[in-house]
Amino acid sequence: MSDSPLPYIESKILRVSLTDQMITTESIPEDLYRKYLGGRGLGVKILYDALSPGVDALSPENLLVFAIGPLTAMPVPTAGRLAVVTKSPLTGTIFDSNVGGYIGAQLRRAGYAAIIFEGSAPTPVYLWINDDKVELRDASKVWGKDVYETTDRLLEETDPKAQVACIGPAGENKVKLAAIMTDKHRAAGRGGVGAVMGSKNLKAVVAKGTGSVGVDDKDRLTEAVKRARRLIKKNAVTNKSLPIYGTSVLVNVTNEFGMLPTHNFQEGTFNDAVGVSGEKLIERLLVGRYNCYGCPIGCGRVSRVGDQEIGGPEYETIWAFGPQCGINDLEWITLANHECNLLGLDTISVGSTIGCAMELYQKGKIEAPMKFGSTEGLLDLIRDMAHARDLGGELGEGSRTFAEKNGAPELAMHVKGLEIPAYDPRGAQGHALGYSTSNRGGCHLRSYLIGPEILGSPVRVDRDNPKGKADLVILYQNLSAVMDAMILCRFTNFAWTVDDYAEFLSAGTGLSINGRELLEIGERIYNLERIFNNREGLTAKDDQLPPRFFSPLPEGNSRERVVELDTMLAEYYSLRGWDKEGKPSKDRIKKLKIDV
Amino acid sequence: MDLTAEALAKTIDHTVLKAETKRSKILQLCEEALTYNFAAVCINPVHVAYAAELLKDSDVKVCCVVGFPLGANTSATKAYETKESVRGGAHEVDMVVNVGALRDENFELVRSDIEAVVSASGDAHTKVILETGLLTDDQKKKGCLLSKEVGADFVKTSTGFGPMGATPYDVRLMRETVGKDMGVKAAGGIRNFKDAIKMIDAGADRLGTSAGVAIVEDFRWAQYSDSWMQEDRPCWDCPSRQANLAKQPKEVYVWYKERCLVCPDRSENVFND
Repeated sequence: MSDSPLPYIESKILRVSLTDQMITTESIPEDLYRKYLGGRGLGVKILYDALSPGVDALSPENLLVFAIGPLTAMPVPTAGRLAVVTKSPLTGTIFDSNVGGYIGAQLRRAGYAAIIFEGSAPTPVYLWINDDKVELRDASKVWGKDVYETTDRLLEETDPKAQVACIGPAGENKVKLAAIMTDKHRAAGRGGVGAVMGSKNLKAVVAKGTGSVGVDDKDRLTEAVKRARRLIKKNAVTNKSLPIYGTSVLVNVTNEFGMLPTHNFQEGTFNDAVGVSGEKLIERLLVGRYNCYGCPIGCGRVSRVGDQEIGGPEYETIWAFGPQCGINDLEWITLANHECNLLGLDTISVGSTIGCAMELYQKGKIEAPMKFGSTEGLLDLIRDMAHARDLGGELGEGSRTFAEKNGAPELAMHVKGLEIPAYDPRGAQGHALGYSTSNRGGCHLRSYLIGPEILGSPVRVDRDNPKGKADLVILYQNLSAVMDAMILCRFTNFAWTVDDYAEFLSAGTGLSINGRELLEIGERIYNLERIFNNREGLTAKDDQLPPRFFSPLPEGNSRERVVELDTMLAEYYSLRGWDKEGKPSKDRIKKLKIDV
Repeated sequence: MDLTAEALAKTIDHTVLKAETKRSKILQLCEEALTYNFAAVCINPVHVAYAAELLKDSDVKVCCVVGFPLGANTSATKAYETKESVRGGAHEVDMVVNVGALRDENFELVRSDIEAVVSASGDAHTKVILETGLLTDDQKKKGCLLSKEVGADFVKTSTGFGPMGATPYDVRLMRETVGKDMGVKAAGGIRNFKDAIKMIDAGADRLGTSAGVAIVEDFRWAQYSDSWMQEDRPCWDCPSRQANLAKQPKEVYVWYKERCLVCPDRSENVFND
């Protein structure tokens, strides 16, 4: 146990200078983890302090931070996740992408709160963390290999009990849609974090930790965990929908609400939704379920197509390769998912960008015959995207760049360059505001108002009414930020409230905190991200949605609606204490004790 | 908001009435009722003795349904079921009114039917379930007045097995009819704290729900935003919107739907959720 006033919060950081192959350790100052906790919060603070404005995200000057949270590897449900924080090459914003699997717990047991990668290695390397022995090793044997082979070979070379986070060919080729994969098929998928890793010639992080993780008040934490598990068992989403169907339970739900984006968001209902639904996945392909570390929910899917066992597909992936592209072939969708897993690609952005290209073809903007509904040649195209070659190379830049280049920027369904996921914002006003104000761009997880607006959790609010949505979006954004700092799975908040998270933190770490104080940490993180983005030149104009969402859908149960963004945005800025340009006021910065 | 989680919990009859209910579910129900200090557990007669044993020495009551869910048993049968349940440990009896007789305007039969249960219940409280989804407003009012006349303690909206659940509209109507000295229990379709608060605001002092744990736990969200309670579109809570020809008598269904034609909020009824 350290002599820190909060000894149960891991404060040791590894700093890995890839350029000169130096590895050093340092400690997080107490004030920093009190204010930012860990995970996303810690990573954002490190990035903000270290990066100069305008740094090329794929240059050695960018940092790549892997961070776990103060609860990681404690017996708290879902406390095994890992945050990857960097400046995104896809959006140019601060970016965090978090991932499940098991590697987060290994890092904590090895005794590290975070790893900061700086510079760029002259030749491909991987980092091998074996408790307190840390070394950079040659990765030339696995460079060019896919994620599955890389994982297997590195485990052979190190320790079969270790965990691997690695990039595939997409990351090596600095494709802006490249992911970092753990446990082969869990992805820190979004924003091109894999490209940043590739730009540093860092193929993988392999970690094995055998240390124990103490807690401040074992009895209190045991009680909190017992209660939290009971709440998960009582909740219909966490006890039934997600374990039975996985996230793909949402296909039929969003389709029924007329907000399952179809043909690049031209429609909100997909005729063959039932054929690509979670229910159909069970009947046809599902062979197993996957639980991340410490997770009692188990939303992960394992499917079989032919003789191939595949991790996934999840809802967003089914949507991206299915309705978004007009494709109703569930086997093919699952194979496309697998191809992305192998290559290390973000399924959401890949599928969305292909859908965008299909509309460009439909509108006569490109010549490549990419037809909605046709799978012909698409697996090859995905491989080309990962290898940055031919048309695939252009698509790998993301939909914003591709659509702009082909003279129709309005056909890219993105915010700040990040492809919008599988909920048409016209069907849920608050969710639309969440997309627009997300600091990392078009993301459904920064403020998942699908919960109250569509699923009625914790209560149903009128999805069409913009009134009061700014307030709820801010609550969800702040909570999400602090959950990502702790770092726990988003799905837990179907069953838990803010106070439960505060109780975990207090019992586990001794950091006495209540729900409101926890939300203030989330607000601090959110504001610092915004300040980072402002420093990069982003303003209110970047909080806009594609013009499509200001015209109504032609049919379905979200027809005759448009996003009423201006009203909500003005209220949002006001409640946030931001000016009309979307910049936090000095008063708010001071109130939140943000050092800028 | 003045309402506390503890006060909210004390309005809840923690309910499980499904045919498939196993003993383990009753155990869980009672444990939760003790944990949250709910007003009562609401169960079928077959589970009364077990629940009474689990809840002895607590102030959580055992509430038993009688003539459930159709209300179509004879009065003697309901009275016997009541006695059996009270003997087994029930503190409260939720009986289903003779709905057909109420619709026939055979008020003497309705009165005697309720009276039989009230008499048989002894010191136990009696709640009279009207099954509002099968009735017009005049019939609901009559059912309330008859219940009050014969000394029932509560009127209750629904079984949860009928054509519609509780609505603030019906709760308000029942409260206005019975006055402040009689209880009104809202039951059926109360799934979250917003539903619960709407019912309380409409005049309910007891809520029958199987979502009691979620209601009390999620109520903690209320402190973090006022927006949860923003007003819904009027049609959402209106019984006319829930009217369903497949589940209701034709004339009752038509009565509900015709209300829409003269409703001042008619223009709001344009959505598909």
